[in-house]
Amino acid sequence: MTTENMSNTETDVAAHGDAILEVDALDVTFPSDDGSLPAVREVSYALRPGEALGIVGESGSGKSVTSMAIMGLLPKNAQVEGSVRLMGEEILGLPDKAISQVRGKKVAMIFQDPLTSLNPVYTIGFQISEAVLAHNDVGKKKAWERSRELLEVVGIPSPDQRLRQYPHELSGGMRQRVVIAIAMANDPDVIIADEPTTALDVTVQAQVLEALQSARRETGAALVLITHDLGVVAGQVERVAVMYGGRIVESGPVEEVFYRPRMPYALGLLGSLPRLDEDRAERLSPIRGAPPSLMAMPQGCAFAPRCPMARDLCHTEEPGLLRTLDNGDRVPPQPGDAIAHVAACHFSDELSEGIRPENLFRDADADAGTGNAGPVAAPSGADAPAAEAAGSERAERGPVGEPEVLLKAEDLVKNFPIRSKGLLKRKVGDVQAVSGVSLELRERETLALVGESGCGKSTTARLLLNLVRLTSGGVSYMGKPLQGLSDKQMRPLRRDLQIVFQDPFASLDPRMTVADIIAEPMLIHRTRNGGAKKRVKELLELVGLNPEHGSRYPHEFSGGQRQRIGVARALSLNPKVLVLDEPVSALDVSIQAGVINLLEDLQEELGLSYLFVSHDLSVVKHIADRVAVMYLGKIVETATTDQLFEAPAHPYTQALISAIPLPDPVKERTRERIVVTGDVPSPADPPSGCRFRTRCPKFARDLSEPEREKCVQEVPGLLERGSGHRDACHYSEVVELL
Amino acid sequence: MLVYTMRRLVGAIPVLVLASLLTFVMIDVSGDPLAELRMATPAPSEEVIQQEAERLYLDHSMPERYWLWVTGIGGDGNIGLLQGEFGPSTQGQQYEIGPAIAERLWTTLRLVGVAMMLALGLAIIAGAVSAMRQYSKLDYTLTFVGFLCLAMPTFWLAGIVQASGVEFNQLLDVQLFNTIGDGRYSAEGEGPWPQFVNAFAHMALPTLVLMLTSFASWSRYQRTSMLEVLNSDYVRLARAKGLRNKVVIRRHALRTALIPLTTVFALGVAGIIDGTILTETVFQWRGLGDFFITAVENNDSYALMGWLILSGVMVILANLIADLLYGVLDPRIRYE
Repeated sequence: MTTENMSNTETDVAAHGDAILEVDALDVTFPSDDGSLPAVREVSYALRPGEALGIVGESGSGKSVTSMAIMGLLPKNAQVEGSVRLMGEEILGLPDKAISQVRGKKVAMIFQDPLTSLNPVYTIGFQISEAVLAHNDVGKKKAWERSRELLEVVGIPSPDQRLRQYPHELSGGMRQRVVIAIAMANDPDVIIADEPTTALDVTVQAQVLEALQSARRETGAALVLITHDLGVVAGQVERVAVMYGGRIVESGPVEEVFYRPRMPYALGLLGSLPRLDEDRAERLSPIRGAPPSLMAMPQGCAFAPRCPMARDLCHTEEPGLLRTLDNGDRVPPQPGDAIAHVAACHFSDELSEGIRPENLFRDADADAGTGNAGPVAAPSGADAPAAEAAGSERAERGPVGEPEVLLKAEDLVKNFPIRSKGLLKRKVGDVQAVSGVSLELRERETLALVGESGCGKSTTARLLLNLVRLTSGGVSYMGKPLQGLSDKQMRPLRRDLQIVFQDPFASLDPRMTVADIIAEPMLIHRTRNGGAKKRVKELLELVGLNPEHGSRYPHEFSGGQRQRIGVARALSLNPKVLVLDEPVSALDVSIQAGVINLLEDLQEELGLSYLFVSHDLSVVKHIADRVAVMYLGKIVETATTDQLFEAPAHPYTQALISAIPLPDPVKERTRERIVVTGDVPSPADPPSGCRFRTRCPKFARDLSEPEREKCVQEVPGLLERGSGHRDACHYSEVVELL
Repeated sequence: MLVYTMRRLVGAIPVLVLASLLTFVMIDVSGDPLAELRMATPAPSEEVIQQEAERLYLDHSMPERYWLWVTGIGGDGNIGLLQGEFGPSTQGQQYEIGPAIAERLWTTLRLVGVAMMLALGLAIIAGAVSAMRQYSKLDYTLTFVGFLCLAMPTFWLAGIVQASGVEFNQLLDVQLFNTIGDGRYSAEGEGPWPQFVNAFAHMALPTLVLMLTSFASWSRYQRTSMLEVLNSDYVRLARAKGLRNKVVIRRHALRTALIPLTTVFALGVAGIIDGTILTETVFQWRGLGDFFITAVENNDSYALMGWLILSGVMVILANLIADLLYGVLDPRIRYE
C-alpha cells in the first residue's frame, strides 16, 4: 500500500472534471474462423481539453482499431467492451441517431489515405457543406460560405475554384487538407487523426501538419494523433502512448518516453530508427523477430519473445501498466493522474537513464526466428563489439583511390507520351519522367537516389537496368553500352545487374515456394543444374532466414522476411550491382532496421554496389556513400552523404532535410525550418528555367525581381562546388540544418 | 458531351461495317437457301430453281452479293441495308423482311424493356440489401435465389414458369395468366383497362423469366460493388461527419456503387437478346425470337442477316448509352 492510493470518490470527480475523453478498459475482439482475435486489450487513456496525445505503434498494434471503436465505426461483427466517456457521458454502443450527434460535432476524425477518403462523385464543396449541414441546419448557401472559410484556414489557395472541383482534381496533400477542413467544420472538442500524413511526401507532410495545427488553434480541439512515425509524434504532441500487441505498453509525457523509456519495446523502437541527427557510422539495433500475430498472442508479456531482457516471469505473467519509482518500485499511478509516465514491464527499473538501445538489442539482428535467443544479461553498456566493429569498418571505407565505375548514365531522358483519347491516339504531349540525368555508380559503393514521389527516381533506376527503353542518352555497364541491346543480348548482363522491389508482398509469386522463387533466376540462366538446392540454402542462410524454410510459401513469412527473400533472389546469380527500389519503405520500423543491417553486411561481404532508391532521407543518410537528389526528372544536387547532410546547398535539398521530423522532442521543436509551399508541378508541363522555382523558398523570399528573372529564363546546370559536391541552383548557398 | 457522343457514333461505323461483313460471310457460307427447293418432291424444274436463285441474287459472286446487300446498288429495289431494304426472303415473294422485323421488334422490345428495367431495379435493391446485411439469413437467401436463377437454363426456367402459370390458373379457376401467345391483338378496340389486363396477362410470365435470368447476375455484381463501397474510406468518413446511416447509404454508398453496374448492364443486353429467343419460343410469342427461329428453319439468309445486324446495332447502342451514363455518374470520366 502506498500513499498514491487515495479515496476513490474524490478522485472520480476530479477525473471527470478534468478529462474530455476517457477511454476505460477498452477491449475489441474480432470473431474469425480461427477463434476470436483480440485486436485491442484493456486500453485506457484520458484526454484533457486542448491536449495532444500521440499513439504510436507498428502495424497490427491496434492503434487504429482503438480509435475506430471510440467513433463506433468498426464493422458490426467487432465485439467492443469497456467504456468511452465524452465529457462524462458514455458514447460506446449508442444508437445511430445518438452517435451521429457525437461524430463530427464533438469528435471528428481524419483518416490515413487522402486519395480514398473523399467520395469521387461529389464536389469538394458538397462534401464539406455536407459536414456543416449534418449538425447545423443553416441552409446550403451559408454552408458553402463556411466551407470556403474552412479551406482558407487549412491553407488551400483559390478556395472558390476548389469548392467546385472533384477530389480527383486535387493532389494528395490538398485532399488531406480538405479532410482536415471537414474535421474542423463543427468545432469539435476532439480530433482523432489516424496516420494523417503517412501516405504523403515529407514536404507535403510538413504542410499538412501545419494545417492540422491551424485546425487545432481555430477550434481548440484536443488531438489524438495516431502514427507509426516517432518523428511526427516528437514534434506534435505533449503526451504519447506506445501500443504493442493491442495494449498500451508505455505512456507518459513525450520527453519522458523519448529520453527515459521504461519499456524495452519503446527503447528498441528508438534504436531501430535510422536518424538524421546522428552519426551514420552507428549500426542500427533492430528488434529481433516480428510483432505478434493476433491469432497466436504469446502468454505473458506480448513483447517477451522479442525482448532481450525477458525472463521466466515475462513469459507467464502480463505486466501491469505501472509507474516506476526512483527506488525501483512499481506502483499504480495516482487515480486521476492521466499524465503519469507508466510502463508495462516487470523489469522497468532496470532501464535506467543512459541505457542505449544498441547495448540492449545488440544481438537481435536476425529476423529469421531461427531461435538464437541472445544473451539476457543486464546491459553493462561496455561491450558492443559487433556494432563497433561494423561501425569502424564503415568509417574506414572512405575514398580509397578511385574505384572502378560500374554503371554510368549520361544525360538519360525518358518521356512517356500522352495520347489523345480518340481512335487515332495522336500524341498530344510528353510526361517528362526523366530529363537529363547523369550519374556514376562505382564499385562497392552505395549511391542513393532521393526524391519525392513522381520525381523520376524509380524510372531512372529502371532505365539503368534497361528495363525501360530510353528516349535518349546512354547507359553503360563496365564500359559496354546497354541502350539498344535486345532482350536476348541483355540477358547475360542481367546476371550482374539485379533489382529488389519495394513491395515484398507483390514481388513474390504467392504460388511458388520460396526455394523455387530464389532458384528461378538460376534456372533462367542455367547456372546451376545440380547445385541449385544447395545454393538456395546458402542464400537463405546468408539473408538470415532458416535454410529449412525453403519449401514454405511467401504468405507464411512476415514483411521483413519476405524482403529478405527478395534480396536472396536478387543475389542468387552473384550480381555486382543491386538496384534497391525503396527496399524498406513498406516495412515496420523495428523490422526495417534488420533489413538495412543485412544490406550493409552483404555489401561488405560480397563487395556489391547498390543503387538505393528512396524517399526517406534518414535511411539514405544511414546507408549511402553518395547521394543524388532528384526533383521533377532532374538531379538538383549530388554529393557525398556527409557533404550533403552537413552542407546542403540546393534549396530543395534543404527543404527536404528540414521537413523530416526528428524523433527527438526537444530538437524537433526548436529546429529551424525551411518550408516549401504547394505541390510538385505536373511533369507533363514543368516550369521553365529552374523547375523548382515555383515552390522555392529562396525564390519566393530572398531573391530580387531581376534575380528571379534568371531562375525563370535559364535552366541551372549541375555545377561543381568542389570535391564532387554539385548542385543545380543559380543562387545556391550552403546552410547548416542539423 | 455532345462532341463525345458524335465521336462515339462515328466510331461505331467501322464496328458496324465489320459486323455486317462477318454476319454476311458467316450466314452466306453456312447453308444453301435453295436447299429445300432442290429437295422438294416432286423435284422442281431446273428453270424454277434458276429463277429462284436469280430472285435471291445467288447468281452473283459473294463479294458482289455483300455489296448488294449493304448498298442495294444494282439490285431490284428490294435489297440494300442503306436503303432500308433487307433483301428477298425464301419464305415467298410476298414476305417482306423489313416490315416483318419492324412489327416484331415492338413485341420484343416491350418484353425486353420491361424485363430489363425490373431486373435492374430489383438487382440494385437486392444487391444493396445483401451487402448491407452481409452474411445474414437474408443475404444467404438472396444469394441462393441468385445462384439458382444463374444456374437454370432459360428454356427450363421458362418451362417451369409456364407450367406454374397453368397450375396457378387452375388453382384460382380464373385465367389470370395467358401462358401462350403475345396477345397483341386480343384486346384491340377495348378500353384502356381491359387492354392493360390483357397485356399484363400475356406479359407477366415471360417477363418474369427474362427478368430472373438478368437479375441473377446483376444482383451479384451490385452486391460486390456495394460491399466494396461500404468498406471504403469515404463511406467511413461520411459516417465520421455525423451523417445518419440512411443518408450515408443512399448518398455515398448506393450512388457510387451504381457506377460499375452500367458496364455490366450494357454487356447484359447481348445476353438478353439470347434469352428472348428461348423465352419467346416457349411462350409462343411472335417476336424477334420467333422471327429468328423461323428464318433458320427456312434457310432465310437475308432474314437472318437482318436479325443479326439489328442485334448488333442494339448491342452497340446499349454500350454507347452505358458509356454516356458513366460520364454522368462518374465525374472522373472526362469526355472532351
